[in-house]
Amino acid sequence: MNKTLLIIAREYLTRVKKKSFIVMTILGPILMAALIIVPVYISNKNLKEVKILVVDENEFFINNFTDTKKVVFSYRSGDIEKFKKDCLVSGQYDAILHILEGTQSLKSNLYFFEEPPMNLRSNIESQMDKLLFDKVLKDSFNIDPAKFEIIKNTTRSSIAMIQTDETGAEKKNFTELNRIIGMICGFAIYIFIFMFASQVLRSVLEEKTSRIVEVLISSVKPVQLMMGKIVGVALVGLTQFALWVVLTLVIVLGVQITNPGFFNKEQIAMEMPISPDGTSEFMPTADEIESYQDNQGIMEMINAFYDISFTQIILSFLFYFLFGYLVYAALFAAVGSAVDNEADSGQFTMPVTIPLILTMVLIMPMAEDPNGALAWWMSMIPLTSPVAMLIRLPSGVPAWELMLSMGILLLFFYFCVWFAAKIYRTGILMYGKKPSYKELWKWIRY
Amino acid sequence: MKFVEIQNVTKRFSNHLALNKISFSINKGVVFGLLGPNGAGKTTLIRILNQITAPDSGNILFEGHPIKRTDIERIGYLPEERGLYKKMKVGEQALYLAQLKGLSKEEAIKRLHYWFKKFEISYWWERKVEELSKGMQQKVQFITTIIHQPEFLIFDEPFSGFDPINANLMKEEILELKKKGATIILSTHNMASVEEICDDIVLINNAEIILDGNLAEIKTASKLNQFQVEVGDIDSDIVNLLPTEYEILGTEKMNGYTLFTMKISQNATPNQLLQFFIGHASVHSFKEILPSMNEIFIDKVNSYNKSHQHE
Repeated sequence: MNKTLLIIAREYLTRVKKKSFIVMTILGPILMAALIIVPVYISNKNLKEVKILVVDENEFFINNFTDTKKVVFSYRSGDIEKFKKDCLVSGQYDAILHILEGTQSLKSNLYFFEEPPMNLRSNIESQMDKLLFDKVLKDSFNIDPAKFEIIKNTTRSSIAMIQTDETGAEKKNFTELNRIIGMICGFAIYIFIFMFASQVLRSVLEEKTSRIVEVLISSVKPVQLMMGKIVGVALVGLTQFALWVVLTLVIVLGVQITNPGFFNKEQIAMEMPISPDGTSEFMPTADEIESYQDNQGIMEMINAFYDISFTQIILSFLFYFLFGYLVYAALFAAVGSAVDNEADSGQFTMPVTIPLILTMVLIMPMAEDPNGALAWWMSMIPLTSPVAMLIRLPSGVPAWELMLSMGILLLFFYFCVWFAAKIYRTGILMYGKKPSYKELWKWIRY
Repeated sequence: MKFVEIQNVTKRFSNHLALNKISFSINKGVVFGLLGPNGAGKTTLIRILNQITAPDSGNILFEGHPIKRTDIERIGYLPEERGLYKKMKVGEQALYLAQLKGLSKEEAIKRLHYWFKKFEISYWWERKVEELSKGMQQKVQFITTIIHQPEFLIFDEPFSGFDPINANLMKEEILELKKKGATIILSTHNMASVEEICDDIVLINNAEIILDGNLAEIKTASKLNQFQVEVGDIDSDIVNLLPTEYEILGTEKMNGYTLFTMKISQNATPNQLLQFFIGHASVHSFKEILPSMNEIFIDKVNSYNKSHQHE
């Protein structure tokens, strides 16, 4: 068997068999799935009906609130203090809405014993605003609210964001979503590169401090050892990544199958705005329309989500993860070989990691303006391009720019391996004092 | 027959010369002592032989041809700075190292089981290296060095870290390997073991060879013409009767005997010295003092250093 393959196999198997790898591989998807499932679960849980007692001093709102799946209104008049005492603690009502005397600009208090759902207040406020608005329309301007609603709905303008490609053909775009996906990908790649490249550093140091390295390089060339290690760890990274994706999908799908309707898109959409029951026989209220529009927004987002070229993003993600990792792993291997312990490695890893950290710091401005000069240059510079390009990608990057960036990264990778191998082969046999940059330069030249 | 030839090998590091035109050869089937003080350049030379580093100039011939990459599988190397993966299981690790030396998995397993059994360490197979004592790790390391049955072995301080029993076991194994035809370089500061097992030696100091040749011949050539005579009853004026060819270097009284350390001049013989003593005392024992390798080492290195200080 080829010796480099033997090294790769050892590096891979010892890591994959480790308890920490198994734990991380299982915990990762559970955490990821939890991130997806828990918010939905919580909002589903909140579906519990909230009973509200309305005490209206103006008697205007009596019987005018619209009940929803989540909120049911009852009406009484009398002593507010007595209601507060009798109805809240007993759980007869979850909250008491006390509307104080007034005309157009009304003041109200909402009393509760247990904190009501977050959006309850805005739900009630918007209902009250609408009712008041309609009343004023009718009383002061003699306008039929239903007509007003029709006018309002038919005189709406909307701007569609349409990006075009080189041929002038339309690309569907959803900027917000692109930004979010870009940031997630950029962040993931950053974590991955750091996590696995620093494993290479530790592994080189381990061989150096345990002194096994001299035995090894009497059997294989230093560059074989270094590359075997780098590739072995890369395969561990890809394995972990693949397992995470698969396990996360299994958990999420598992939840969906055992709980059909858990991820009901309509329902998720309904959760976001506070909407009255859509089956109401009344004319559509502003809320309903808003909720409808929000639904549209979400549907649009979902469509846009499917329109994003995921094949391109995933392939690019793999490319940039792989080569970004390879560049950093090679540099980290060089650093690991040059020093005697992890504490000393900081001085040399710093100049290497600063560009990557800088990219993370600039992730927001780059996501805001994915085609601006900052993002453009950072997506070309090889130490920053793995993160920066992933941030830009979902917003659409011309093919030539992507190719250029990949090409630069590829060339830089060859350079890094050459450079790292030079330092590595000398460094692994050097013990004692920490080398200066001047000495490192000498190692490269011989 | 010359097995390995080192020809004019020079290696310079950024701030010092590690090897300065070193030339010597190693005959097939010998145990060859590579000696020298710390920092003399031994490790550099060993690394060049193992192709870990390349010489700046000069050649290494292996069985007459310039050494090539594939020769590495015919060399077994036990470095002075040795170690194993601490977290890895002993058997797994030995197997890995054996495979890196070009053995197939099946063959490696077969041979490892043989050696583990021979050293009575089979029950370590599933244990992690970090659970073993230093001496135990050395045994594993020794096995991994010889597992591919190399024709050329380089042991750098092989006995350090072993208790006397295990050190002896190692010594026997090294002699066993020699008997089977292996050529062995032994680099050590332990001169007693050099005297016990080395056939030829080279002494390197300050990047240069200062002594080179067959150990027995070197010892004979370094003879000091000194003898130790142990006598009982003694003529009181023996010192005054002593001919000028003999010189008393020291006397010592022990358990009623007197111990003389004598030096004889070039034109006298040991027989004459003995005859002199027989005539004047009751001789209890008589023996020649041969320089130990230790003394030769110190003497050569010191005189080299002195002569170079004057330059």
